Amino acid sequence: MKRIMIDKDKCMACLGCVLGCMAEHNEKGKSIYDLDLEDRTNESRNHIELDHKQNPIPIVCRHCQEPECAITCMSGAMTKNDETGLVEYDKDKCAACFMCVMSCPYGVLKPDRVNKEVIMKCDMCDNKDTPRCVEFCPTKALYTVEVME
Amino acid sequence: MKYLVLGASAAGINGAKTLRKLDKNSSITLISVDDKVYSRCMLHLYIGKKRNLETLSFIDKDFFNRNNIEWIKNKRVSKVESKEKKVILEDGTFHEYDKLLIATGSSAAIPPVENLREGKNVFTLRNLEDAMAIDKLVNISKTAVVIGGGLIGIDIAVELINRGLKVHIVEMVSNILPMQLDERSAKTYERELMKRGATILTDKLAQKGVLDSENNVVEVILTDGTRIGTDMVVVAAGVRANADFIEGTNIEFDRGIIVDNRCQTAEEDIYAAGDVCANKPGIWPLAVNEGITAAYNMVGIDKKIESSFGFKNSMNFYGIPTISIGNPNPKDHSYQISIYDDGQIYKKIVHKDGIVYGAIFQNDISYIGPFTKIIGDGIAMDSIDKNIFKIGYGDFFHVKPNGEFEYKII
Repeated sequence: MKRIMIDKDKCMACLGCVLGCMAEHNEKGKSIYDLDLEDRTNESRNHIELDHKQNPIPIVCRHCQEPECAITCMSGAMTKNDETGLVEYDKDKCAACFMCVMSCPYGVLKPDRVNKEVIMKCDMCDNKDTPRCVEFCPTKALYTVEVME
Repeated sequence: MKYLVLGASAAGINGAKTLRKLDKNSSITLISVDDKVYSRCMLHLYIGKKRNLETLSFIDKDFFNRNNIEWIKNKRVSKVESKEKKVILEDGTFHEYDKLLIATGSSAAIPPVENLREGKNVFTLRNLEDAMAIDKLVNISKTAVVIGGGLIGIDIAVELINRGLKVHIVEMVSNILPMQLDERSAKTYERELMKRGATILTDKLAQKGVLDSENNVVEVILTDGTRIGTDMVVVAAGVRANADFIEGTNIEFDRGIIVDNRCQTAEEDIYAAGDVCANKPGIWPLAVNEGITAAYNMVGIDKKIESSFGFKNSMNFYGIPTISIGNPNPKDHSYQISIYDDGQIYKKIVHKDGIVYGAIFQNDISYIGPFTKIIGDGIAMDSIDKNIFKIGYGDFFHVKPNGEFEYKII
């Protein structure tokens, strides 16, 4: 499967990955020119944290081999697709119990900020060749590789 | 190889699914009392008419076909003959196994309060049949008493209120959700419930039900003499393991089946997973994890449960999410308590000497998963010079060669 790799030392905290993710998931259009940063309903599935040394750390979903979010999901909304390797999220099945938010050891997940009903979960841009966060990263802190699980 | 799985909920289904993933050829049979697969954690949503029989399911419609699992439903096990390696059902038929997984879960118990067990309108909520019976009675009821203000009790109370009932919640300690919350965070939900007409009776115990001539409880009397007239009673006050059928085997039992960290019982080739097991909180993720772990060991691949930390819960009532981890109510004054409270968002972290013992995150739970790991594994944080509320996975960031994350302990 394809995985987004992270070279944190190359990250300049430009938030390009965040904007790329928001652009991809913008219902009003996927171009950067469609992006309205004041639209609170459009949120990124990734984020950048500052560690205790003030270094930027990009946090992007791993689509883990043993995903805690899927193991903990009691509605069947979060599942590991054994064929593609992706951890997929079906918002229509989700009961908004937030066990996945509690269980992801890497702090990737959050509820949407407006209605708190949907999980902000990476979908690898529907498995397109280059996910938008990678496409938008100017320093190649994010890049994709094929990995064996 | 013939695998036999007992139970069709979190542990049984995930056990069977994993068996098939690891062993494409052997026969897998799953026997259950349930004739539908559904998520017990969502049964209250059936009462609230937010989910139906179809949307209560946590598996795909073709799960059994696709995984080539034979499902024998509507059957109860009466005995395990471990010497002959077979399971006898109540209808007298039997099924042989090479490896057996017991994942029969637990049943809700009605406490020994006078007349509650006799009352025809007294329910627990554990099975779909319970939810259906409650749903029916709600149609002709105006008031309900919910005994037990824990997670299941409040889940039920919220949905009964949604259906238009006047609800009385009886909780024996001083706030609702006492296992998960503190007074401050419980108040948030108590206020929301009371706004919607609920009565919350804390520090009170039910002492007696008053029966009418048709054996319906029409009044609940509390130990302080309070009398509450009611049309129905729902009890959410504890469970017991479904394991009567192990009598006569060498399986060890102490309020649940005792297993090792490979989910194996004291009896060879018999494994157990989920709420039927002893010594841990009965929560969904542990049951799934145990089902998966048992399956690995059943096919001969060594796999241990890495963490059976189960003191973690999330809740979401009236659009206010809360996550509670560990023990957020310290037992003595030796703990340090860090609090953030702006009236809407409330966060509390209980720690001592760099170790976090408990936490509550209310109304802002974004990215808090690492605290489950930190508390569950007892990861020391004293070397992290940072506002404790800002600690995240970034502080432990490390990428394995295959791109997966792991914790770099500093």
